[in-house]
Amino acid sequence: MGLLRIFIQGFSTTNSKARMVIYLWLTNFVFSLIIVTPFYLLFNKEFSRSLSGDSLAEGFGLLWFSDLAYKYKDIPGVMAGWALVPAIIFLFLYIFLNGGIIGRIADERKLINFENFFSDCGKYFFRFFRVFLISLFGYALVIITHKLISSLFKLWTKNASTEWPLIISSNLKFLIFILLFSAVRMYFDYVKIRLVVEDSKRTILTTVLNLAFIGKRFFKAWFLYLLVGIMALLFGLAYLGISKILPSSGYAVIMIFIWQQLYILSRMWVKMLFFSTEYHFLVHHKTTFP
Amino acid sequence: MRLKKIGAFFLILSCSSIFLSAEDEIVKENASQIRYEIWVELDDASKMLYGKEDMIWVNKTADEIEDMWFHLYYNAFKNEQSTMVQESREEDLLGMKILDVLSPEEDEWGWIDVTSIKLAEGQDLKSTMTFIPHDEPLHSGDQTVMRILFPEPLQPGEEIHLQIEFQSKISRMKMRSGYYQNSYFLGQWFPKPGVYEEGKGWNCHEYHLSSEFYADFADFTVHITLPSYFVIGASGKQIQSITNPDGKTATYTFHQKNIHDFAWTADPDFIKVERDFIADQEINLKEYEDTAQRLGLPVDSIKLPDVKMILLIEPEHRNQIERHFKALRRAIKYYGLWYGPYPYETITMIDPPFRTGSGGMEYPTLFAAGTRIFRSKKVLSPESVIVHEFGHNYWYGLCANNEFEEAWLDEGINTYSTGKVLAEAYGPSDLQINFNRIPAAYFFDLPQFHDYMFDRMAGLQVVELDPITTFSWKFYSLGSYGLNVYMRASTCLYTLERLVGKDLMLQILRTFQMSFRYRHPHTEDFIQVVNEVTGQDFSWFFEEFFFKTLNFDYGISSLSSYQKKKHFRGILDIEGQKKLFTKKQVKEGQAEEEKSDSEKIYVTEVVLKRFGEAKIGGDALVKLKVAFDDGSEEVVFWDGQARWKKFTFERSSPAKVAQIDPDNIWLIDSNLANNSLKRKPSKKGILHFTNKLFFWIQNYLQFISVLS
Repeated sequence: MGLLRIFIQGFSTTNSKARMVIYLWLTNFVFSLIIVTPFYLLFNKEFSRSLSGDSLAEGFGLLWFSDLAYKYKDIPGVMAGWALVPAIIFLFLYIFLNGGIIGRIADERKLINFENFFSDCGKYFFRFFRVFLISLFGYALVIITHKLISSLFKLWTKNASTEWPLIISSNLKFLIFILLFSAVRMYFDYVKIRLVVEDSKRTILTTVLNLAFIGKRFFKAWFLYLLVGIMALLFGLAYLGISKILPSSGYAVIMIFIWQQLYILSRMWVKMLFFSTEYHFLVHHKTTFP
Repeated sequence: MRLKKIGAFFLILSCSSIFLSAEDEIVKENASQIRYEIWVELDDASKMLYGKEDMIWVNKTADEIEDMWFHLYYNAFKNEQSTMVQESREEDLLGMKILDVLSPEEDEWGWIDVTSIKLAEGQDLKSTMTFIPHDEPLHSGDQTVMRILFPEPLQPGEEIHLQIEFQSKISRMKMRSGYYQNSYFLGQWFPKPGVYEEGKGWNCHEYHLSSEFYADFADFTVHITLPSYFVIGASGKQIQSITNPDGKTATYTFHQKNIHDFAWTADPDFIKVERDFIADQEINLKEYEDTAQRLGLPVDSIKLPDVKMILLIEPEHRNQIERHFKALRRAIKYYGLWYGPYPYETITMIDPPFRTGSGGMEYPTLFAAGTRIFRSKKVLSPESVIVHEFGHNYWYGLCANNEFEEAWLDEGINTYSTGKVLAEAYGPSDLQINFNRIPAAYFFDLPQFHDYMFDRMAGLQVVELDPITTFSWKFYSLGSYGLNVYMRASTCLYTLERLVGKDLMLQILRTFQMSFRYRHPHTEDFIQVVNEVTGQDFSWFFEEFFFKTLNFDYGISSLSSYQKKKHFRGILDIEGQKKLFTKKQVKEGQAEEEKSDSEKIYVTEVVLKRFGEAKIGGDALVKLKVAFDDGSEEVVFWDGQARWKKFTFERSSPAKVAQIDPDNIWLIDSNLANNSLKRKPSKKGILHFTNKLFFWIQNYLQFISVLS
């Protein structure tokens, strides 16, 4: 079966189980609300009775931002902490949700409800958490490799006589980082999917065995992964393009909000599409599992 | 060997009188203190300069002077004992030690040696030469200030003629001057005397990490010899270029009167482009008339001369040539119209050679701007740096303040002036955000801002750290120096402009510029000009904002409106009898009152508070405007001396909003949000912005989730 067909299958599976996108969106929405609430209260305290508050409607403004920057100059650490701690909790929550997503994708029935979704979340959480811990070594490997590549680039840019080598190298380094990162991420996606498909608890063994599976068809798998990545990029561009032409005052605020949430939904959908296509790719090559 | 070659040029070119030009007519009253003729040769291979300096210094004071102090700035890069390196050891820049940023390798240190110094008559003075570090805290190993003794004290009106030979190793330390590969930017490269101040002696500070320069006006004739493959630019006007008999080197001669520094640059890759600023094409009669009216001067007196504009730009920035000239034209136009004509024939704009660390730096008649390959047209860069550095020809170049001691006088005034010119010529700029050297403005609509907004944000951060008038190297940190003397000073000047009015502010700066051209003004001189032009005493303004570290914050502490009571509980004396009014009676009375058509009176109470320590003074008052629900307004004033003041109004309508400083005069106020207080809160703007923030957070969480 060709990659395109696998891609279409993944597309179809994602659409048929799109209810999960709502679960993911709700989770994201609630967590974002938790993080944004102190900021809202701060704005409310400082600006709700001030004429400066009206200018917030126009977006970021240096004058009102300066007031905050001066008044709260001693607490950026607290603010950063507030943004970081919920994010880490959110990360763990997503490890939990991944069980539900992959579990439901791997279930041939189309039925998606809270019960079976969260049942899968619970079933696979500790396996996926172990995969997450192992994946940290993978990401560390990405950073180390990237540093090594950067030092090679540095040899080139060290004696540059114009800015061009710096522009090329910094963008190439970024691209390489993204590609390395995507490869590692894809690798651990397959580990998770395989744990579900085989209903296995042997995370380390599966991680090791996956090396043979991916090793044999790395470029095919990666191509499929990048194809979905390109979809994510297209959604981003579409969001930016349409945002530019949306009006920004009056009731348009509601339109903007809806458009933003549609974009977030599209990100969730793409996340599912990654898993779906990977699942079909893996099932397609199941007979060749080592 | 190289000195012999230089000597030959000395003979050929010493008749410097032939270089006199129409500029000789400039500033007869302020004739230069010094006359320099310098021969210098650049050895590209060894990164060495070999120079000979013929210098005549005139004692224009009433003092007998027994010595002379020189700046040897290149010795700041000599070793870890120099004041600059010592200071950079302590200083952080974005979490990195400055010394690490400078990061000299073993072969990248620089230095200057005076190999010979003698009177023109022949008497050798080298034996009297000593290094005299003296700034507190003392860095005894510093060699950036040198002293020589005269054989006899120099009497008032006498001149001394010195001949100096020097050798310099050019540094790679990226501090305004240096080299990268075979590109050079050379500032502060020759032995230069300090400024002798009558009754006080020599003002000649060491080269500090956070300070710039101070020197006397001089007439320069400089002969630069270097390999002929270089394209060269320098202060002043190029009056000669010859290919030397060796066929490999060329010598360029530059001349300029009435400047106090001389810088030059050389790079084989430079593209040299010349354009003319033709005043009649740039400024129409109406613009002259409008400006003359604002300045209170005759139109003829503000007419601008033409200027030769020279650009040396790197090939990779070729597509920005017209962008550079456009910015320079506008700078020459507005600085000229507002503050006085640019008095020199040429202005040389350098796109500094890559990695020479010389961008964004000013020298008389020459400045280094700086750009990158990718520049969005929505971001005013390189425009802002071009306007700013050109502007230094006025603030530092012509009004030549002591940058070691009162840096705000040029940096602060020029930051303010830059903002004014950019606003007039271009309008607001997008925020400059780059990703991997690609401007984000290519893809996104970024927030726009005017310079004064940015200045305020930055300046507020250091209000309580140091007075603006602190000596440059004595600030709490390099950051405090920069933000105080540039941004905070600029914000104070915007505040002054809003206090006195735009036209009067223009007159202040023009008077200051024209009165102190070719002189060394001090803060007191500026205050005096402000007081004279405005006819008011603004000393309090400078005392409060320039000499102290006080936060300025007036605000509205509370606002309330309630219906005036006509019924009261308790025992009231009515017609000679004591009568009890119960709670119930009061309620009933109020209910009847509500039903009746009789006019209701509302009492509005507004409490103003001085939250900060800084106070307004002089004739300035805090203006309070209260707007009522019926559309009426009331304006009252407060002298702002006490900590708080309550105002009470009785009107037929409750208050809608109270606002102090409704004309937005006090830009230096650290909290503009508390300058207004609505009776009822409104959340439209807050919800709108929170929604944006919410969306960013949603994306941020999704971004984090990729690790799951």
